[in-house]
Amino acid sequence: MSPNESSEQSRLLRGAHRTLTGLHPALESLLAALVGLLVGAILMYIYGFDPWKAYMGLVKGAFGGSYEIASSLARATPLILTALTFSICLRAGMFNIGAEGQMYMGGIASVVVACFALPTGLHQIAGLLFAAFAGAVWSLVPAFLKLTRGVHEVISTIMFNWIARWLALYLAIYVIVDPMRPEKTLSIPMSARFPVLVRGTDLSYTIFVAIAFALVIYFILWHTAIGYEVRAAGLNPTAARYGGIRNKRTMFLSFVLGGVAAGLAGATIVMGLPPTYAIYGGGGLPQLMNLGFDGMAVAMVGRNHPIGILAAAVFFGGLNAGGRVMQFYGSNPVPLEMVRVVMGAIVLVMSIPELIRLFPMIKKQGGRLIERLRRITRRTERGESA
Amino acid sequence: MSEQSALSRDRFFLKADRITKIYSDGTVALKEASLEVRPYEIVGLLGENGAGKTTLTKILSGLLPPTRGRVISPKGPIRFSSPREALDFGIGMVHQHFALVGTFTAAENVALSHDRPFTRVRIAETQQALESLMEESGLRVPLDVPIEKLAVGEQQRVEILKVLSRDVELLILDEPTSVLTPLEVDELFELLRRLREEGKSIILITHKLKEVGSVTDRVVVLRHGEMVGDVKTSEASTEQLASLMVGQALEEEADAVELSTEEIPHKRERKPIDRSGDGVLHVRDLVVNGNTGEIAVDGVSFDVYAGEIFGIAGVEGNGQSELVESLTGLRVPISGTATIHGANILGIDPRQIYRLGVAHIPEDRWELGLVLPFTLAENAILGVHRWEEFRGPLTFLRWGKINRHVRELMDRFDIQATGPNAPARSLSGGNQQKLIVGRELAKDPAIIVASQPTRGLDIGAAHYIRKTLLDMRDKGCAILLVSADLDEVLAHADRVGIMYEGRFMDVCTPDELDRKRVGMLMGGAKSKEGE
Repeated sequence: MSPNESSEQSRLLRGAHRTLTGLHPALESLLAALVGLLVGAILMYIYGFDPWKAYMGLVKGAFGGSYEIASSLARATPLILTALTFSICLRAGMFNIGAEGQMYMGGIASVVVACFALPTGLHQIAGLLFAAFAGAVWSLVPAFLKLTRGVHEVISTIMFNWIARWLALYLAIYVIVDPMRPEKTLSIPMSARFPVLVRGTDLSYTIFVAIAFALVIYFILWHTAIGYEVRAAGLNPTAARYGGIRNKRTMFLSFVLGGVAAGLAGATIVMGLPPTYAIYGGGGLPQLMNLGFDGMAVAMVGRNHPIGILAAAVFFGGLNAGGRVMQFYGSNPVPLEMVRVVMGAIVLVMSIPELIRLFPMIKKQGGRLIERLRRITRRTERGESA
Repeated sequence: MSEQSALSRDRFFLKADRITKIYSDGTVALKEASLEVRPYEIVGLLGENGAGKTTLTKILSGLLPPTRGRVISPKGPIRFSSPREALDFGIGMVHQHFALVGTFTAAENVALSHDRPFTRVRIAETQQALESLMEESGLRVPLDVPIEKLAVGEQQRVEILKVLSRDVELLILDEPTSVLTPLEVDELFELLRRLREEGKSIILITHKLKEVGSVTDRVVVLRHGEMVGDVKTSEASTEQLASLMVGQALEEEADAVELSTEEIPHKRERKPIDRSGDGVLHVRDLVVNGNTGEIAVDGVSFDVYAGEIFGIAGVEGNGQSELVESLTGLRVPISGTATIHGANILGIDPRQIYRLGVAHIPEDRWELGLVLPFTLAENAILGVHRWEEFRGPLTFLRWGKINRHVRELMDRFDIQATGPNAPARSLSGGNQQKLIVGRELAKDPAIIVASQPTRGLDIGAAHYIRKTLLDMRDKGCAILLVSADLDEVLAHADRVGIMYEGRFMDVCTPDELDRKRVGMLMGGAKSKEGE
């Protein structure tokens, strides 16, 4: 890679890390979410729906009761992990677009535990290990290509997504297929399933796996020398080299960790999603599809911080869960696609710096307005007392 | 343009009248500088780094507005709000860093420079026009080869063609020879002389005395933003120009700066330096490549002993950066040896080099020295983050200890910041540099490699950092001080090596050097005794 190209990339990355407005990052994400919802509302209005009713349905469907909250959290679980994939690599200075493929491989690998018996507990751990290993291997190949041959990771990870997709389909249909029901793979045996956390919902104990992994990543990045090196290399590779950090090693490490996260995401679907505990081959892996890409949106809204990602994943999980309800809500059946429009709008808003620069202006103007109001009230108070 | 070419040789084409430029950060780049250019004339603009040469020409070519003063044409004062307006007036500048699109051909690049929004790009017409222009000027470049495939000299010719194709009357060249081989330099000068015969005015920015003598008609010398000389080349000697460029007398300036006796470096009481043996840093025949594969350091040998400051002076870009980078693990040299207390330091990791007792104050604070978005504390452990004092089991960082360490640094080095968690970006330049110096000195080094340690700092911070370095020297630390600030090197170093085109022109003590001679050595002219 030429020095020019690498500096160009580091400039881009610095842009991705920077908080564009000077506001607190969390506030910035919140504002972007609101603008995204507003865009969705405008579109719904144009198409003749009642946005207010639709959003009522969405909120009720997402957080209206314990069942709804549980299904939002269930949808958040894999997103937490795939978002971590993107974030870890971004922190190290690279764009890993390969969470999707790494997740497929993780999911397929965890099905393999159906082929042997182990006591409960160990069986789950074996499944997670398989998935983590498969995800890491799938992520290592692009990393290796980048380090040895200079292949740009964006290109290679996208290509690996396709390879993984067709490979996973092939394995699901021909190799680990359920002989009784050829539309799906073997089901995970009882001893390896993660039990359901809230009865009657699809929220399982896998959410603890996701949260635990997010916390582990947080501690690695901010409390160990290894994570320190990853972040330094991502923010300023030249200074990192000056600081004796081996940038290649931090790259490799971040891809391994990212692959592990994506692999685990696949496992959470296979081992923790009732009722089938298997992958459907038919329809092109419908349970897994797009979770990796959605993870990138979650990472962005979560500002690439593990804790922020936890919150953003719950928000996106809520959108997914609530969107289903929105379709059937009263006399106002807004198509589920509208939820994806909202998601897209949020991501767009977050990536348009010019638009986001409006926020401090709004803040400033708002501050002036408040100041003026205060002055007026003071004046009237004085007038009254006189 | 016919009107302008009808101007006689005596009338000026353009005049800069008492121009002052103060940048938004308060740096005064120019103080009432004046310059006049006439047709049929090549003017050399001579000065050290930071003398204001580039700023002045940027103002003339419409890139920067002056803070005070005017640019005057024979028809009255003019004000350019963009380089395009200056080009339309007939002023073109060839910058040190070319503005060419690497994947475009020369013709496409020139067409691009003529391009206005929403008009058709006329490549074919441009190509024809260029061919006749090349015929006229004798300036030949392949037109249909992508720029990135051309040699640097050819790229520069494309830049000149680009400007000439706009019918300019005044051509400004910013350090054009710094990227050229000697043969290419001769060709360039030949071209400049031809353009002069056509009645063009040319401003040639340089710091090389030899070039001034060989091609210019008149020399304007800038020092610290002020015009200190405007002489006919034929009437000026190299010595005279050298002393104009670097200033008359160091002694006077040193007296003018109010320093207490203990702070004048050479009046400090100190132990004599023991120069037996190989020294702390021992460098022999070091050859290092630059970024584009050229030889940047060409066989340099020196020793730095405990308790002395070895200074490297010279105009920037003569191999100093590459030398420092090869000694600090950032660049792998071609050949030669370098050891610290006998242990090899070439081609090994910076982390291992720090273990051998090297502290490195890098020339680029923002790119190398700091991770700007990181906090003060995070920056304070860069390079030492794996040392036992900061790291627990499983490489867990001991933030409590680190923060205590940072607070100590803040006290000891007077770093003004809100706390260990303030982002390094929020610090002033002086405090950022103090943070770097503090971090490096906390390594308890055997040798400090300090590259441009006071560049861009205010007087207070610069003074503090120099004093700190002197304290370390007195404690027995060896110091390699590389600086483009000649006064700094001469006032602090015990021995000085003057670098020119990758070699030491001379190594001696500051007392043996008068400024005239330093100026000549920096400009590549050997002293008379040396020949």
